[in-house]
Amino acid sequence: MFYAPDTAPIDLPTFKSTISLPYTLTPGRAAGVFLAEMPNRRIVGARFADGTVIAPAQDFSPRDGEEPTELVQAPETGELTGFTRVNGVVLGLVRLDGCRNSFVHRILADLDQVKVGQRVAVQWAAGDEGTSILAIEGFVPAADAAVGEVKPLVGAAEPLGVINYAMALHYDHAYGPYYGRMFDELKENGVVMGVRGSNADEALLPPREIDDITHKRTGTWKACADTGTIRACSLINVEVYGQTRQVPYAYAEIVLDGASTKMIHVIEIDDLETAKQQIKPGARVRAVWTTGERRGAVSDIERFEVIEG
Amino acid sequence: MGREVGIVGVGQTHHSRRRTDVSQAGLVREAVDRALADANLSMEDIDTIVIATGPVLFAAVNQPEKWVVDAIGAQGKSVVRLTSGGGAGFAGALAGYYQVAGGYSERTLVVAYDKLSEGQLQYSISTLYDPFWGREFAVGIMGFSAAYWRARMDVLGHTEEAAAMVAAKNRNNAIKNPYAHQKKAVTVEDVLNSKPLCWPIKLLDVPPISDGAAAIVLASDKVAHHSTTRPAWIRGMAYCCEADNAPERSLMLSEPLAIASRQVYRAAGITNPRRQFDVVEVQEPYSCFELNYYESLGLCPPGQAADLVASGATQVDGDIPVNPSGGCMGANPIGAVGVIRLIEAATQVMGRNETHQIKDAKLALVQSGGGWANLRGCAVLSA
Repeated sequence: MFYAPDTAPIDLPTFKSTISLPYTLTPGRAAGVFLAEMPNRRIVGARFADGTVIAPAQDFSPRDGEEPTELVQAPETGELTGFTRVNGVVLGLVRLDGCRNSFVHRILADLDQVKVGQRVAVQWAAGDEGTSILAIEGFVPAADAAVGEVKPLVGAAEPLGVINYAMALHYDHAYGPYYGRMFDELKENGVVMGVRGSNADEALLPPREIDDITHKRTGTWKACADTGTIRACSLINVEVYGQTRQVPYAYAEIVLDGASTKMIHVIEIDDLETAKQQIKPGARVRAVWTTGERRGAVSDIERFEVIEG
Repeated sequence: MGREVGIVGVGQTHHSRRRTDVSQAGLVREAVDRALADANLSMEDIDTIVIATGPVLFAAVNQPEKWVVDAIGAQGKSVVRLTSGGGAGFAGALAGYYQVAGGYSERTLVVAYDKLSEGQLQYSISTLYDPFWGREFAVGIMGFSAAYWRARMDVLGHTEEAAAMVAAKNRNNAIKNPYAHQKKAVTVEDVLNSKPLCWPIKLLDVPPISDGAAAIVLASDKVAHHSTTRPAWIRGMAYCCEADNAPERSLMLSEPLAIASRQVYRAAGITNPRRQFDVVEVQEPYSCFELNYYESLGLCPPGQAADLVASGATQVDGDIPVNPSGGCMGANPIGAVGVIRLIEAATQVMGRNETHQIKDAKLALVQSGGGWANLRGCAVLSA
């Protein structure tokens, strides 16, 4: 039976976490040429077998998946097919003359000057925006602009192979009652608390409401020791993006005394050969607590060290 | 029981460390074109589509199926995207198998891919860890995998030398595979002497990082003959899981794989896997895993995997060849690998593997897995 606490939602502090990553994205042939032509101030489109022209150019027709028969130079004029305002900037859907699709870009005008169906013309950026679609500063209203023509793309640039990109995602994770108490106990009392399994004295770490194996409610809270036994370990000697400490060190899955499940942590090592002998499954370890202020996180334990035997 | 389902067409890209000439969607298109051509079909003949990839953090495109659908001309079809970490391709194939076996589709296209050159692989995998409980100490999947290999050394005798034999076997097999991109002859000593990355895992125990896609067409027995006179029939397929952090989880034998193989062997009438299978394809993202799978799949008793690889039985010319394709050591576009292993096994039992055919292969075993080593599955294919 799942436990339904008799409480209303309350606002509690969250655990803040950020996932931050660099990427090297591949635009593909058509979009790659489109971007490569931005410094040349040419808008590249794609013509498909049925005569449809799409701009910016795409590798595959959004109508039937066919590949383009040729890349073309799209005109710099078109029509506004929709718009909105975000943070004071007018964003519009622009369909270039001779093209079937609309794409999003800035509209360089006040909202009250903008109408669906009105003629617009490209305004190129004053500065060097490189191989970015922002080489187009935006589109300006151009009531009298002549209808432009799709032209052959003469001397197309080589497609851009890679685009550097970065993403940082910020999260606020809710602790929930079980993790909440565990981290409160860590912070206030410097104790790792788990809950007993449904029919065992050993504590499950991290604590949880339901026993994984029996599917019954877990038991009462229990303080675990800050000593334990290595269940599995490896010696980290590879540098990967996002790593927070210098190699070499040991990655260890440790079962604390009084617990039945693992805690993941690190052990400092001097060199690989000595560590191979000392740090192994079954070895006894103890926690080295942070000398600074405890934050209520696993890192309040700075590392583990092997208990010399 | 559902209907009989066969693999009737296969296609994969020439995998590569980095493909800068195609986008993710373009990569998928290549594999799909090849599979449809192989099955003598066009997209119009396909009822349903399953698209499988690894975690979106691998390449920063969320819901990539919206991009892929345009690229493969799948507008208006039933499309499901599925992800299951390293087992994504296999889980996608299982979903497709259910659709055809259940009578909801006559022909289902399963396409799986990852374009790993675009992101930060190990960091992305570290985000699989509980953000409260361990993520800050994670070293992707490599630190974890090495840790449990170290534990299996003591309990099951999976020595560094035994894993090095696996790595050397698969790397040397990959040389013949036209779709592999890591093709360099290595010796057991080379592997043992390579740089420790997460000891006991060393550089040559680790597969390459790859861009690649793979696709299969599944067909019911009613329409399979339109594509081929000799489909690879799926005789059983299962994908099981275990709890991530339960006290009982030893990670010695793979419990979910043992469960899956019992189910699949019962369905396929396998009583002696070592004798009955002609060829085996496993997903060994590190060499140590292949030893684990020998035992979990019942190719040998627990504790005898090191002896099995040392005996030469799993070499191409042995009595139970494992990964004649080279496995992950030749190419490892993670989300696609489950489908690649199925393709390799299917072409073996169809008798048309052009470069590394096992003579008279009629019955093949495929293993794949993902999640946090807690999802493991297998399938039996027959002529």
